[in-house]
Amino acid sequence: MGLLEIEEVSVQFGGLLAVDDASISVPAGCVTGLIGPNGAGKTTLFNVITGLQAPSGGRVVLDDVEVTRRRPYRRARLGIARTFQRLEAFGSLTARENVLVALEMRRRWATARYDCGKIADELLERVGIAHVAETRVEALPTGSARLVELARALATDPKVLLLDEPSSGLDEQETDALGVLLHELTAGGLAVLLVEHDMPLVMEACSYISVLDFGRVIARGTPREIQADPSVQRAYLGTAKAAS
Amino acid sequence: MSQRWSNLLVWAGTIAFVVLVSKTAWAGNPVNGTSLTNLVVLALPLAGIIAMAASGLVVVYTTTGIFNFAQGAIGMFLAYVDWELTVHHGWPQLFVLPLVVLVIAPLLGIGLDRAIMRHLQGKALVVQLSVTVGLMFAFIGLANMLWNQNTAHSMPALFQGEGFHIGQVLLTWHRFITIVVAVALAIGLRILLFQTRIGIAMRAVVDNRDLAALGGARSSVLSSFAWALGCSLAALAGILLAPETADMSTTTLTFLIITAFAAAVVGRLRSLPLTYLGALILALATQWSGSFLRFSERWTNVPDALPTIMLFIVLLLLPRAEIQFARIGQVRRVERVSSVRDAAIGMLALLVFIVVMSMFVLSNTDTTNLSRFALGMCTALVALSLVPLTGWAGQVSLAPLAFAGIGAVAYARLGGAHGSIWAVFLAALVTVPVGALFAFPAMRLQGLYLALATLAFAAMVEEVFYSQPFAIGAGERSVQPVHLLGIDFTSKRAFLILVTVVFGLCGIGIVALRRSAFGRRLVALRDSEAASVTVGVNVLETKLAVFALSAGIAGFAGAFFAMNAGTLNGPTGFEMIAGLPIVLALVIGGVGFVAGALFAGIFGLSLVIIQSDWHISLWIGLTYLAPGLAVLGIIQNPSGAVVPIGEGFARLLPWRHDARRDYEEMTAATAEPEVGGLGLERPFEEADVLLVDRELGISNEVPRAVAAARSG
Repeated sequence: MGLLEIEEVSVQFGGLLAVDDASISVPAGCVTGLIGPNGAGKTTLFNVITGLQAPSGGRVVLDDVEVTRRRPYRRARLGIARTFQRLEAFGSLTARENVLVALEMRRRWATARYDCGKIADELLERVGIAHVAETRVEALPTGSARLVELARALATDPKVLLLDEPSSGLDEQETDALGVLLHELTAGGLAVLLVEHDMPLVMEACSYISVLDFGRVIARGTPREIQADPSVQRAYLGTAKAAS
Repeated sequence: MSQRWSNLLVWAGTIAFVVLVSKTAWAGNPVNGTSLTNLVVLALPLAGIIAMAASGLVVVYTTTGIFNFAQGAIGMFLAYVDWELTVHHGWPQLFVLPLVVLVIAPLLGIGLDRAIMRHLQGKALVVQLSVTVGLMFAFIGLANMLWNQNTAHSMPALFQGEGFHIGQVLLTWHRFITIVVAVALAIGLRILLFQTRIGIAMRAVVDNRDLAALGGARSSVLSSFAWALGCSLAALAGILLAPETADMSTTTLTFLIITAFAAAVVGRLRSLPLTYLGALILALATQWSGSFLRFSERWTNVPDALPTIMLFIVLLLLPRAEIQFARIGQVRRVERVSSVRDAAIGMLALLVFIVVMSMFVLSNTDTTNLSRFALGMCTALVALSLVPLTGWAGQVSLAPLAFAGIGAVAYARLGGAHGSIWAVFLAALVTVPVGALFAFPAMRLQGLYLALATLAFAAMVEEVFYSQPFAIGAGERSVQPVHLLGIDFTSKRAFLILVTVVFGLCGIGIVALRRSAFGRRLVALRDSEAASVTVGVNVLETKLAVFALSAGIAGFAGAFFAMNAGTLNGPTGFEMIAGLPIVLALVIGGVGFVAGALFAGIFGLSLVIIQSDWHISLWIGLTYLAPGLAVLGIIQNPSGAVVPIGEGFARLLPWRHDARRDYEEMTAATAEPEVGGLGLERPFEEADVLLVDRELGISNEVPRAVAAARSG
């Protein structure tokens, strides 16, 4: 039983079935990968989990509580945090202020008292962008802005963290650092659902992987199993017949 | 509340409203075949004119993404051009009408597109709106200057008002032609959009601008064409409408065409058939109220408010906007957040300046000038109400003066007649729930639609609120300045200093607010609603708070407006049209800054002084023309004038070491990368590295985490 359970979720946009009866389980304490070709429905699924998109069918369950009908901000307060594939940083605020917004919101429902400024600095340090804390995010390079989003998501002290292509815009060293950070985070009990195109990162960081194609989960298993799965190879590379 | 229930509520409310109004104001005329035929015959030409103007709005909006507030004013201006040539110079209408509609109007449209509108693509909504509102003022101002409004103008109807009878009602050839032209236009536009290459390209742009451009649509040609067509439609509507008005007053003509907003919104600014339907409903409703209803006393102005009431209802029925993701390539704003200490120093300097001015420059007997300065400070206070709402939260409101008006009335009614200090706070308190109510439509409506809703609200307040007996009613209400600490501020000098102190304190408060968690949350909500909700921000609660705050400040300012005026008389001083220049001036100054609000006050003050003291006929049109032209400056500098002024000034202050560094950083952040000659004629400097990195999305420094990962 995962900490986050996506059960038979479907999303219909007009005549297009963007997500088709998808079920994914995201256990605590490890990284679960979600991969698939472009347009497979990965980001739509993230929007369903965070409440930005209402599903046409299915359930989202967090820690045994059904959240399918909860508003997005309520889900955030229950412990779902995310980053975005297309940057959604607060551009005119500084990196530190981005994190502060999340911390100051969390103070409303968190039981423990804490010093927002101190934690903000710690988080920025942790994701490796402390040196640009006072720079406005729209003046930052994309990679750094992604890390601001990551720090902001962590500031809500989530149970489940959804990362939508966090490595795009990062250079190789930064991607390595991200992998290290993911290990640290899951070691602390966090459940991570990772959408990523960087296959070495996915294979290295994930304990389980689900593969989405045309909105359907076509395979799930450990990285080793996924790499060997013929249907996955078909989805990514096409069959010999289709290619010709 | 779900969409279905809220729609049901709006429909039920609308029907109840229509039944109630019809019942109370029923004039007793018989409803039979004849009277209904008359109704339709009268309504159709009006519907035609509204439909023409509204189609122009739709064509421009869908193709270019810009909602043209100036549509009515352009129609008015071109109707005057037509008047000039036909009535003044005696040219035949048969020649002039095609000349104006098919040559002059398209040229004007292309000129506007090339000179102004093209540069507005991708700018913040408040900037786009301000520029077209400014253009509206500029056209009114220009017309007032060219055609003296102290003498009445009249335009003869086509065929000298002759016509034929349908039943008992005379349908003039002019009106018949109006109907025929409207129908022909409907068919023509349909053919244009569905059968011609340029029309299909225009529809493609509606669906996806970027994709259409990739497919070979030349958006610059399309936008010029759309503006040309829009201006032609405006001209046609204006020229056909002009003979129907009593004196061709520039403002009447302009605002009659604003009626078209409601019809265009029925078509959701996209669909021409629905726009025509909206025009028809609106014309029928107007004629219904004209033929069968009699409004008197407190409801006298209800017929004038009909289009805005309809606009408001239609907006409430629009489907709920989805959660907004940030637009890619948004404007790079410059938002230096000043410290509370700097704000306090600035306000103290302002106070000293005003005290010195009032002591040594303006004599206490010179009440006119003291009163003008006080009015300027009151205006600044109203503009301040928009700084958190529009500047930070990005919610465009065009109704700040309406809230001030409500505050002024509340002050007058709740103790202001004898200057009670409590009345000032009650004025703010009464306005707060009215403003907070706006958070609910603001949850459903985004951007432009919200702005239109606030405009409709301002017009409704003007037409029906002040005439109520519980507000001001038919007569006047006199008010006293407050008594505070044993001082009565009846002396104009003392009052000016009081308003300055109040503005200063509010300004410092607003700066402190921007630096608080709430201020950050507002900016976050504006920058990305989607990201805000995913970190737990309750959007409704936040919008409630900011609308309430804004309305409260405006209501508070209204109390001081009332004190400065001494008497309240109907909507005088709080008209919708008087509120727009405040918004414009604030945008020119800088909508996110307290200094921008002060700029708005000074701007208003200078206009009043120039207008009344410079006896040059050229300045007659200045009330409208000046804000209209000044607003064009924000195309170059969307952050507002106070940013370069403030930064330039701050660098000169000895204790502001940080200002120079900030200035350079901001110049680098907002400058467009200039590649020409880089590395050849001029050296590749640190700023260039930053720029190129930002544009390419490259990280220029290896984060410490990497270093840590390597060493570990």
